[in-house]
Amino acid sequence: MLSKMLLGRYIPGTSLVHRIDPRAKIIAVLLFMIIVFFANHWTGYLLLILFVLSLTKLAGLSLIFLFNGLKLILLLIIFTFMMHLFFTKGGTVLVDAGWFTIETEGIIRGVYITIRLAMLILITTLLTLTTSPLSLTDAIERICRPLKALRVPVHEIAMMMSISLRFIPTLMDETEKIIKAQSARGSTFMTGSLRARLNALTPIFIPLFISAFKRAEEMAVAMEVRGYHGEKGRTSYRVLDWQFKDTAVIIMMVLFGIVLFMIRQ
Amino acid sequence: MIEFNDVTYSYREEDHNALDHISLKFRRGEWTSVIGHNGSGKSTLVKLLMGVLEGYTGEIRIDGEVLTEENLQDIRRRFAIVFQNPDNQFVGATVEDDVAFGLENNGVERDEMVRKVEEALRAVNMLEFRTHEPSRLSGGQKQRVAIAGALAMEPDLLILDEATSMLDPQGRRDVLEILGQIHKDKMTTIIYITHDLAEIGVSDHAVVMKDGSVINEGTVDEIYHDTEALISSRLVLPFTIWMADRLLEGCYMLYDELVERL
Repeated sequence: MLSKMLLGRYIPGTSLVHRIDPRAKIIAVLLFMIIVFFANHWTGYLLLILFVLSLTKLAGLSLIFLFNGLKLILLLIIFTFMMHLFFTKGGTVLVDAGWFTIETEGIIRGVYITIRLAMLILITTLLTLTTSPLSLTDAIERICRPLKALRVPVHEIAMMMSISLRFIPTLMDETEKIIKAQSARGSTFMTGSLRARLNALTPIFIPLFISAFKRAEEMAVAMEVRGYHGEKGRTSYRVLDWQFKDTAVIIMMVLFGIVLFMIRQ
Repeated sequence: MIEFNDVTYSYREEDHNALDHISLKFRRGEWTSVIGHNGSGKSTLVKLLMGVLEGYTGEIRIDGEVLTEENLQDIRRRFAIVFQNPDNQFVGATVEDDVAFGLENNGVERDEMVRKVEEALRAVNMLEFRTHEPSRLSGGQKQRVAIAGALAMEPDLLILDEATSMLDPQGRRDVLEILGQIHKDKMTTIIYITHDLAEIGVSDHAVVMKDGSVINEGTVDEIYHDTEALISSRLVLPFTIWMADRLLEGCYMLYDELVERL
């Protein structure tokens, strides 16, 4: 199931959506988060759906693939829909079972909120699916640069993020190795009470933590001898190249927001 | 070029000296191997040289200049080191990012950086992997990237601290071959730390260490000749040397000796 999870994963590609500057994508997604709340009528919601679906198409991703990857999130969406269904009152009463009623307003609000939530999740998933974690980190660093005036250690945070990202597969491999090693010594992780199973995790986490600290120490030494001394006087190998198409993306997003705002009722 | 004068160092948690009054010379343009069993102090040697460990007695001179806190950054710029664990020294998220890391730290202009990264990757035959992530590389490939990262800095001295000990035989061969090429082409000074006697064959000079002291020093022939010193420092003799030693005492002859006997 984990292999199907799409949250936070990156699918390499060469589509237009992939090639947009990550800064533009992040800003566009932030704008979209505001724009979503402009819609208050079915035409608005329809436009939202169409917009996100065409973006998905443009990124060369199939809807079924997205749907399969987001199944877990679906629970959350259904839950919010139910909340509205049962607790939002207004309009004509459709079902009256005495201790609860379902009214038309509840259904309408429920559907609208569902669409909002689904579109927000889809567009953020699109962002992470089409942008490598590395360029996301880069983009966040550049966007947050003004915060440096407030003494936020932007560079250090970005460096930590990119090193953490780089170590995820290494630590995954390590976890797998430790699990195998402990299994070979007779540990069981899949049987017994919840308590027993949680206890069985201790012999996995302790070696994992020890080795992670050891790695961190060696890494620090390696960075130090390669002349790392913080951000001062440092140049950057990776560059982000803001082009006309990236400005166009932002303009399009703003225009889309204006259209949605105009058709508000 | 590099001189250790009566250097003594001990780790805080241990009561014996990791390095015990060591005096050593590493000459420019030479490939020097430092051989020793675990705990012989061979890695401590380079850690002192790179300023990773502090608080030793004696002095380390580089081109006649005493190593101090002030010139340490400058020294690090001129020396490059490759460590044992391929994973724990891979800083960048991709191959080219990692090679560029040292250049970025030294504030090299981007255009120059791109050129140097490409050149260094070509020297270790890893150019086609430039955009790969470390998790998709083998140990040997990762070490080659680490060497490229060192080469990109155009160092006066390249130190390899057991750089091949975690590699499979193929990876080990590749790394050694590339090092030999670099040593030949650029006359880079190399300090090669290992516990594998079979790997010292290419070096110009070798040093055998035991319990923080130098117990033998000389050309590879001289080192192989003195099997007693090797055995006493708990090193595993290469099969041919072992065989020769067993068959006939003093069978591994120095050149002069051989000439004389003939």
